Amino acid sequence: MLKKLYHQFASPKTYIVLVNKMYPYVFYISLCIYTVALIWGLAFAPADYLQGNSFRIMYLHVPASFLSQSLYLAMAIAAAVFLIWKVKLAAYMIKAIAPIGALVTFIALISGSIWGIPTWGTWWQWDARITSTLILFIMYLGLISLHSSFTNFEKADKFISVLVLIGFVNIPIIKKSVDWWSTLHQPASITLTDKPSIDPSMLYPLFFSMIGFSGLIICLVILSSKVQIFNREASKSWVKDNV
Amino acid sequence: MSDSPMLEVKNISFSINQNRLFQNLSFDLFKGQAIHVKGANGSGKSSLLRILLGISSPSKGDIIWHNISKKVFLGHKNVLKNYLTVADNLHLHGLDAAHPEVKSMLQDLNLHNKTELLVGNLSYGQQKKLALVRIFLNTSNVIILDEPCVGLDDQTRKLITSFLSSELNKNKSIIYTSHIPLELSSKEVMVGGF
Amino acid sequence: MFIIFKLELFKLRKKLRAWLGPILVFLLITISFPLTIELASDDLKNVFYSVLWIASLLTVMVSVEGIFLEDYEDGTLENFSVTNDSLFSMVLMKIFIYWLLIGIPISLLGTFFSISMSGQMSSLNVALPAMLISTYIFINLFSLGNSLSLNKGSVLGALITMPLLFPILILLGKIVLNANFGFEIYNLLLLMLGVLLLIIVFIPFIISFIIRTHLE
Repeated sequence: MLKKLYHQFASPKTYIVLVNKMYPYVFYISLCIYTVALIWGLAFAPADYLQGNSFRIMYLHVPASFLSQSLYLAMAIAAAVFLIWKVKLAAYMIKAIAPIGALVTFIALISGSIWGIPTWGTWWQWDARITSTLILFIMYLGLISLHSSFTNFEKADKFISVLVLIGFVNIPIIKKSVDWWSTLHQPASITLTDKPSIDPSMLYPLFFSMIGFSGLIICLVILSSKVQIFNREASKSWVKDNV
Repeated sequence: MSDSPMLEVKNISFSINQNRLFQNLSFDLFKGQAIHVKGANGSGKSSLLRILLGISSPSKGDIIWHNISKKVFLGHKNVLKNYLTVADNLHLHGLDAAHPEVKSMLQDLNLHNKTELLVGNLSYGQQKKLALVRIFLNTSNVIILDEPCVGLDDQTRKLITSFLSSELNKNKSIIYTSHIPLELSSKEVMVGGF
Repeated sequence: MFIIFKLELFKLRKKLRAWLGPILVFLLITISFPLTIELASDDLKNVFYSVLWIASLLTVMVSVEGIFLEDYEDGTLENFSVTNDSLFSMVLMKIFIYWLLIGIPISLLGTFFSISMSGQMSSLNVALPAMLISTYIFINLFSLGNSLSLNKGSVLGALITMPLLFPILILLGKIVLNANFGFEIYNLLLLMLGVLLLIIVFIPFIISFIIRTHLE
């Protein structure tokens, strides 16, 4: 039965069918959630006692940076799957996620800079977390350019997987950098173990914005993966039926 | 020729970027036998050789080698260092230029008085001959060659062909591609045809 | 393994421009810094370690560019992968020999310069181990980048190597800071040694996978 499951999930055709069914739900639900979260956060949550209203960019910045790391983690898992079990769909997913990952990292960096101007007085600082996130952004760009520079796709898949795994050392550095070094960037307010240090009236819209934003980004990933699959499997007959 | 094949190739297919080069190719290779791989340019002959060497792998099908200690290969690249002398290059391949066997081979190929020349200063044909020295002085029982006689004059080509025949008599097997016809008793395998 | 070591050493030893050139580049950088900045000024004495690190970084970057390219183009790598199961031993030996012929001389020269710059023998304890370890790490990282761009230009390789270099550079920067304030640097050196021991096996393994993929 496990083998049957494996064959089902590893097949691009089944993936497309599954994804086509799920997409409308994911899109509309995420859109609703994120809109609610934004309205709540932007209009109804109280102003921060230190930062005033400028903290509200958190509702964009935090989900974006969370996603930039999660998407890389997803790529790393896909890379491991591809290298160990040679599932081609995993390689397509890496190529699909990379541009989206670059996009959210960019959003995180820009929104972080904008937030920094009123709060820190500067829009850039070479501290550990910000620099590592910049490195993450460069890695995303490197992955995209590496894959497109190869004409032989099978080779390109292997290279990009190796590269994703090598670059994975950066993720723990980003996550833990605010704990290891005392830096300008504030430490994590939400951890798995402790009570959150952020007020509930700001916390709930933050949660919803994380879920909503993640959902919307997942929609983008789905669209991107469909493009990749159709591109790469273009010679197969079922593609012509679905496009 | 012994009864069990040294190499069995079963229904292999190979494609690059979803373009199929060849499919359902099967053949056997016996000891002391030569196989001449034929096909048009770009039909996948070199790819087939690389699959047999283990560098690439086929998209489908099996390759089974029996009792093989080593293979030796000469392709389009000569595996020679241009900035080293002929003797140094032989040293890199584990051959001593002063050894009598090596010396006689070099003499046959007219390279014996050039051992202290830099390989970069040799002509194309001379470099090719030097590359072939490594093949003939090797102890492996499978020889795989990709266009071995390109750039060689007629006399040298006949010499190389006679060397290859004597290798076959020593019960070694040869797989080669060559646009130039060689007078070697070999089985033909066609590649491509799409 | 030892045979591979001897052959690789033989190859590189004879290719004078491959290792003597980089050493001269290093000399050029380390000498031109004091010449263009006022000789032995106090500022320079404090930052001279950084000058050494940057000089060794640039030297290694320049020298490792062709580490696999030549062997790839003349078929040596292909031949090796036919006759051996994996390229791991060849890559490991290549990197080691590059370190022997380039990394160690640079470290010795750099230490000599730093002692003469600061006038104290204590810089021996800072510069020598730091440079020995960091040059080996740099060679590993730049080889990794170059193995990726084996059949294209080397721009891509540099792009990939850049993010991986940053942690090492940060460590080296901390060493300069601590050395100048007289703090202990042994913990940082041990950290760097730890990183080196980790990558000394992993990187050749990854590189051999990458090269085998290139050869396919």
